[in-house]
Amino acid sequence: MDADTALPSRAPTATTNNPVPPRQPLSLAARAAIATGFVLAGFLGLVGLTLSQANRSRALSALQQRLQNDTIALITNFDVNRFGKLLPPDTLPNPDFSRPGSGLYAIATGDGGYRWESSSAIGRDFTFLKSLEPGESTQLIGPIDTRMGRLYYYSYGVALDTVEKKSVRLTVTVAQTEDQLEGDNAGYRQSLFVWLSILGVMLIVLQFLLLRWSLTPLRKVASDMTRVERGDSEHLDSQYPLELTSLTERINVFIDNEREQRTRYRHTLADLAHSLKTPLAVIRSQLESTAVDDASRRSGVLDQVRRMDDQLSRAATSGRQTFASAVPIAGHAEDLVQSLEKVYAAKNVLCEFDIDEHAVFYGEQGDLLELMGNLLENAFKWASHRVLLVVKAQATTSRQRPGLWLSVEDDGPGIAADKIEKVLQRGVRGDERVQGHGIGLSIVQDIVHAYQGELLVDRSPELGGARFSVTLTPA
Amino acid sequence: MRILLVEDEAPLRETLAARLKRDGFAVDAAQDGEEGIYLGREVPFDLAIIDLGLPKMSGMDLVKALREDGQRYPILILTARGSWQDKVEGLKYGADDYLVKPFHVEELLARINALVRRASGWSKPILACGMIKLDTTAQTVTVEGKLVDLTSYEYKVLEYLMLHAGELVSKADLTEHINQQDFDRDSNVLEVFIGRLRRKLDPEGTLKPIETVRGRGYRFAIPRTDGDDE
Repeated sequence: MDADTALPSRAPTATTNNPVPPRQPLSLAARAAIATGFVLAGFLGLVGLTLSQANRSRALSALQQRLQNDTIALITNFDVNRFGKLLPPDTLPNPDFSRPGSGLYAIATGDGGYRWESSSAIGRDFTFLKSLEPGESTQLIGPIDTRMGRLYYYSYGVALDTVEKKSVRLTVTVAQTEDQLEGDNAGYRQSLFVWLSILGVMLIVLQFLLLRWSLTPLRKVASDMTRVERGDSEHLDSQYPLELTSLTERINVFIDNEREQRTRYRHTLADLAHSLKTPLAVIRSQLESTAVDDASRRSGVLDQVRRMDDQLSRAATSGRQTFASAVPIAGHAEDLVQSLEKVYAAKNVLCEFDIDEHAVFYGEQGDLLELMGNLLENAFKWASHRVLLVVKAQATTSRQRPGLWLSVEDDGPGIAADKIEKVLQRGVRGDERVQGHGIGLSIVQDIVHAYQGELLVDRSPELGGARFSVTLTPA
Repeated sequence: MRILLVEDEAPLRETLAARLKRDGFAVDAAQDGEEGIYLGREVPFDLAIIDLGLPKMSGMDLVKALREDGQRYPILILTARGSWQDKVEGLKYGADDYLVKPFHVEELLARINALVRRASGWSKPILACGMIKLDTTAQTVTVEGKLVDLTSYEYKVLEYLMLHAGELVSKADLTEHINQQDFDRDSNVLEVFIGRLRRKLDPEGTLKPIETVRGRGYRFAIPRTDGDDE
């Protein structure tokens, strides 16, 4: 019952379009790309920061160690004479102390206004340094802003004993400008940045490839769905990953249900038509075979019989389907023409074909047979000797079902331009002269309408009679 | 003309049978496929009318079985469903024409005449043998352009002979294919009718259209001149 009501309700939901189409949500790939992009940037940033910090503190402790060593070495080279006068070191632990402007400076201050500076420090202002008590030392201090630039320094205070056991205080400071430290550090940061960037790009590429790979099944489902809609395949029948199987299985069940429902619906209609038509045949044959006094009443009843019959004949058209199978046309057309050639054997009608072998009809096979059968029968009826059937497939994009162009022409009298409208009017009996009730053309129109196609009537350019052409647009 | 009518719907079968008999056909009616196949094999029919929706054995199977059995007479199928699927299938299995229910009885009669005519090699509705012309649609006979007044039975006998012009038609053939109610098989009624027919067609005795083949039957002696299309 559910599916019963679902069938007709599908159409309105499909046609009620919002005036403002809702924006399509971001694609899964874009979501993943944005998310991993942020995570990656944050992660690599933190890694960079941490590594750079660690490097800096390692560099600083190395600097402190070096300055400390230089200080100790300088102190050991200081001497004091017996008058308590401080003697500067004759050798320096690092040649940079002798090179002016090297950025490595040594300053010593002592009791009695003693002051010594390494050659590199001559002329520079180190007045901010304080003297320390013996045994006192600063930690690594800096960077501080001076006129020589940003400086790190380390001071150590000692007392040197003279021969007379007189104690002389000495404070030795070794300072280094920051640019030497920073020089190393900036280089390190730059190469860190380069490597992290390369890593980042590689991760993004890798992530893109992974994403493509893991979204492949979804793309497969979409393309399989297109195949089902195009009628190239009955079901979603590839192998899908576990996460998708419950979805694809349900879609398959849905497709089956729809087909089954449609078949049942059509059979019910056909059975109904069948069960009513025989009684109608009885009524008609009895009315026609027996003398009824009242001729007008008889024709009135016969007219009602005809109307009921027409309605029943038209009831079975099923129309355009979402999950249609592709019905190849050529074989059915040949069957129909063979049948009609048999029936119209006495007329000696020659029927020519021009059928695109790839042409397929997306819909119910019965609808195709009714469409072509009625048009061909009409043509055989009116033709004097020739009928031409042309079927062409219309090229489309791969996602669409190809369209179809089908025309039936004859070399009969044709239909006058001003009569065409009348012929096409529903229920108008365009061909009363020859057998049939003109219902054939109404059925054709019903089918063309149900498949959202177009029926055109004009004169056959080749045969001179009528031409009925049906266009089914790609969908 | 002897016709097999297979239709399960009793009122339709009876009405049609009555109507066909009134038009001078000999009718054997069957109400299901099994009866149809039995009659269809035993009796030399000129035509069969078979409804597709039959109990016991479908009309489609009946058509197939008759053709497989070698029966050559034309078959007209009646279909209530009216779908091209049925029509195409029926014609493929060996039917020669179809009619969709409900149909006009006149239409059925016209189809029967056309099929019988075609089956005996006549393509036009007017059978012409020399001066004698028989119009199967109007059911009239002219000799040298003059209308000959025939009873419906005489017409049927002449039609049968002319359809098989040039062929030997036995007395048994004639009695079997002409409405059986009109005479007693064993009497010499047939000879009487043939004699009357000869006098009406050829009062002067110059044309000699109907030949008696002694002990075997009759032959329509004037060759066909209707100028068949092919």
